[in-house]
Amino acid sequence: MTAQAWLLVAGAAVVAIGIAASAIPRGLRLGLALQAFGVALIGIDGGVVVVGGSAVGSGFENGLGPAMGIDPLSGFFIAAIAIVSTPALIYAGGYLARSHNAPAIAAISGVFVLALVGVVIARDAVTFLMMWELMSVAPAVAILLASRSAETSRAVLVYLGSTHLAGVGVWLSILALAHLGALTDPHALAAQPALVRSLLAVATLVGFGTKAGLMPLHSWLPRAHPAAPAHVSAVMSGMMIKVALYGLVRMLFEWLAPLPGWVAPVLLGAATLSCVGGVLYALMQHELKRLLAFCSVENVGIIALGLATALLAADAGQRQLAALAFAAAMLHTLNHALFKSLLFLCAGSFQRQVGMLDLDRLGGLLRTMPLTGTAFLAGSMAIAGLPPFNGFASEWLTLQALLQLALHGGPADTAAGTLAAAALAATAALAVFCFVKVVGLVLLGAHRQKIVASSHEVPASMTGPVIFLAGLCLAIGVVPGVVLGPIGHLSPYGPLTASAYGSTLTVPGSGAFAPLAVAVFIAVCTAALQLARRQAGTTAPSPMWICGQVPDSRLAWTSAGFTKSLRLVLAVVLRPQRTVSIELDGMLVRSVVHESEVPHLFDDMLYRPVLGRVLAFSRVLRRMQSGSLRAYLSYLLVTLAVVLAVVRAGLR
Amino acid sequence: MRGYGLGIAVQLAGLVMAPLLPGLIQTIKARLQGRRGTSPLQPYRELRRLWRKRTVAPLDTTFVYRTAPSLSASALACALLVVPIGASTVGWFGSDMLVLLGLLALARFATAAAAWDPGGGFSLMAAGRDLMFSVFAEPLLLLALVLVAVGAQSTDLVQMVAASGDARIASLPAHWCAALAFGLVVLVETGRQPIDNPDTHLELTMVHEGPLLEYAGRDLAMLQWTAAARHWLVLVLAAGLFVPLPQTAPWNMLALAAVVTALCALVAVVESSLAKMRILRVPALLGAGVATCMIGLASWIAQGAR
Repeated sequence: MTAQAWLLVAGAAVVAIGIAASAIPRGLRLGLALQAFGVALIGIDGGVVVVGGSAVGSGFENGLGPAMGIDPLSGFFIAAIAIVSTPALIYAGGYLARSHNAPAIAAISGVFVLALVGVVIARDAVTFLMMWELMSVAPAVAILLASRSAETSRAVLVYLGSTHLAGVGVWLSILALAHLGALTDPHALAAQPALVRSLLAVATLVGFGTKAGLMPLHSWLPRAHPAAPAHVSAVMSGMMIKVALYGLVRMLFEWLAPLPGWVAPVLLGAATLSCVGGVLYALMQHELKRLLAFCSVENVGIIALGLATALLAADAGQRQLAALAFAAAMLHTLNHALFKSLLFLCAGSFQRQVGMLDLDRLGGLLRTMPLTGTAFLAGSMAIAGLPPFNGFASEWLTLQALLQLALHGGPADTAAGTLAAAALAATAALAVFCFVKVVGLVLLGAHRQKIVASSHEVPASMTGPVIFLAGLCLAIGVVPGVVLGPIGHLSPYGPLTASAYGSTLTVPGSGAFAPLAVAVFIAVCTAALQLARRQAGTTAPSPMWICGQVPDSRLAWTSAGFTKSLRLVLAVVLRPQRTVSIELDGMLVRSVVHESEVPHLFDDMLYRPVLGRVLAFSRVLRRMQSGSLRAYLSYLLVTLAVVLAVVRAGLR
Repeated sequence: MRGYGLGIAVQLAGLVMAPLLPGLIQTIKARLQGRRGTSPLQPYRELRRLWRKRTVAPLDTTFVYRTAPSLSASALACALLVVPIGASTVGWFGSDMLVLLGLLALARFATAAAAWDPGGGFSLMAAGRDLMFSVFAEPLLLLALVLVAVGAQSTDLVQMVAASGDARIASLPAHWCAALAFGLVVLVETGRQPIDNPDTHLELTMVHEGPLLEYAGRDLAMLQWTAAARHWLVLVLAAGLFVPLPQTAPWNMLALAAVVTALCALVAVVESSLAKMRILRVPALLGAGVATCMIGLASWIAQGAR
């Protein structure tokens, strides 16, 4: 075994010891720290493989024997898993200290992270599927350990149901590929008829797309992610859906080649829908974790846009552009993992201190929890795609790839690239809208409840990880070239030669973008203006003016109020519902009850009817299960007769 | 190289000259309405007056409120240095068109988030409207720029401005559709009628002015400069992208000055002749702009031109 293999085994062993330690009483912190250390070792191993550029361990195998190995693509995902999980596990040490079932949740967290790594390093179908199922089940267990409310149970049920749907696609496609020998031989599928390849592509898109949360297969995501403990949510939203994208990348870019022509446009369409739809529904939420979960749908959409662009560009023969789009998708994968786990961890801290995450009842947390609050602000700016944070760098690259496709592709590419770019621009504007709302309602303004006013900063074990993640968000935003260099080598279209890996990103056919210079200029300029502002002096602190009105906390602006104009404009699409009931006593108004909500149309118009049909059908089927032995014997007889008839017919 | 140096000098001077444009528009508008109006230098006088005053920090506000004006002004200053003048730019930040979108979004985020800190209803209502407009204006800006970029075969603003002198590109229907759409972007970004009324004193109808309500002194000066810088940004960009200007050194600057003045006059005419729209109608107007871009795109594809 090579040194890298030893490092991986050592890391896994440390995590295993950590899992065992965290399960014993009073071993919680030590166990989680060990887990974090072990995951960090594994992550370093992955990073070494990415930078080194050569694979370690076994290659892919079609057989049934277990095989594991790391190639640069796996290494990148391992590094990303570690960079998210290490802070999340350290955070869990503080976060779980007072929750019930803490040892069990801590142990299952470690298992979950190992399962994620396992999916990525699996090199045969059986290991892959085993790890895949473990990865799917572990968070469900964690959710149930943390809370047993009826709502949570229902969320877990939906999650497991969707996981089964995803599982069907994943199992079908992986096993079929292994059977056909396509895991080792990229040309094995070319000999198969078009129908087989199309069916495999459908299974892939449904299987991995559901797990990744691509619209319209995302319904489980906004239910399951908010229900989990904060650090598990962070890893779920940060990395689990990315591991599904890893599977999608392996499938679309390696094993399913040559892809049927319809796959890339369909993926582009689903990605665009996910972007716009995800962020639009995120904007309409009023519970922080649910909002963040919808926002994950948006970001998966952005990543999938990059992947679809890469496929389209490769079809058009533009390999350099395909490599750029692929690198953009991978960079956004890393970036989203960073800022989404940051936001989920901060949300966990807020929930810990305040007890709830209803946006309309928080407010002013930046003053009581300055460190967590500032990190949350940084994460919000990053996810809103603002320079100089990392979200802008990867969205810039994705948009650039779309535009270059529009500029240099055929007529269909021009139309698709331009429309998708416009949709991505709208997504970016909506994300700014959404996170202005979140930052305002959570961090700024007056405290809306007494408990918020009396909250205080969480311990260092919970602030440290989020500050670390916020620092990474800023660092990658300022010098994206440093990570883009190694990521540029991951693409199947050859290394990305066009991007300078320094302080300036240069894409052929575009003006350059110098994030470092932009960041330095804005920092210096802002600092200078702040100094000038201070020199003029400030008047004594005074209450708000608000145009001469008397400040009244009951008139505080709400989430729904801030987004009302957009909700009215998009009423045709969103179909908001409101009911106002006025209770009159003679001529006197006794009470006014106002309720409004934006229903999730995918649930109402897609899932519920389909689910209804399926349940009705299963009720019919259930009649066959009479419990009578004679009935079962007659089924057997009929089956036997049919099989015999078929065999007979087949023989002729 | 002399022209290059001159362009950069004008670009840096733009940081100082930006307030001239809203002043000019106000003057022309006053003349059109039969008033004598103020001098085009009036914005400078206001900035000087505000700069001498102390700032106000309401109770319970955070650093988000206090840094928002500086951050917005810095983002716009950066954006002004990205917009090329006479097909040249300082080049510190690159010259890609998408960078502009990011910097404008940063400024918008800063001011809108700051409106939450005092939490006044008028400010937040206006901030929400501004962000709602941006949901439609940002794709519109992108589409307009893309239609220019397909002609220039580059998303580099320097190349796009240089290509606008090409008679072949100037005659493309796509280019004209882009110009129409960009006109709407100008109105949105500058907050002019019929989108928004910069002269209003009625808080209920405010869009761009609303989030500024709590600010005073140097803070307000920075925010007013930011608004002026938006005028400079979109008008200079419009002149560069859509008007074929001479390419040689001193003449291109003079022509640019003339064209920008003419565009200011055009804005003043539009503002004098149109009433403010209902706010919920604005997205429909911007949607019409998007439809125009679609027509332009279709014509580009139909022509198969490259």
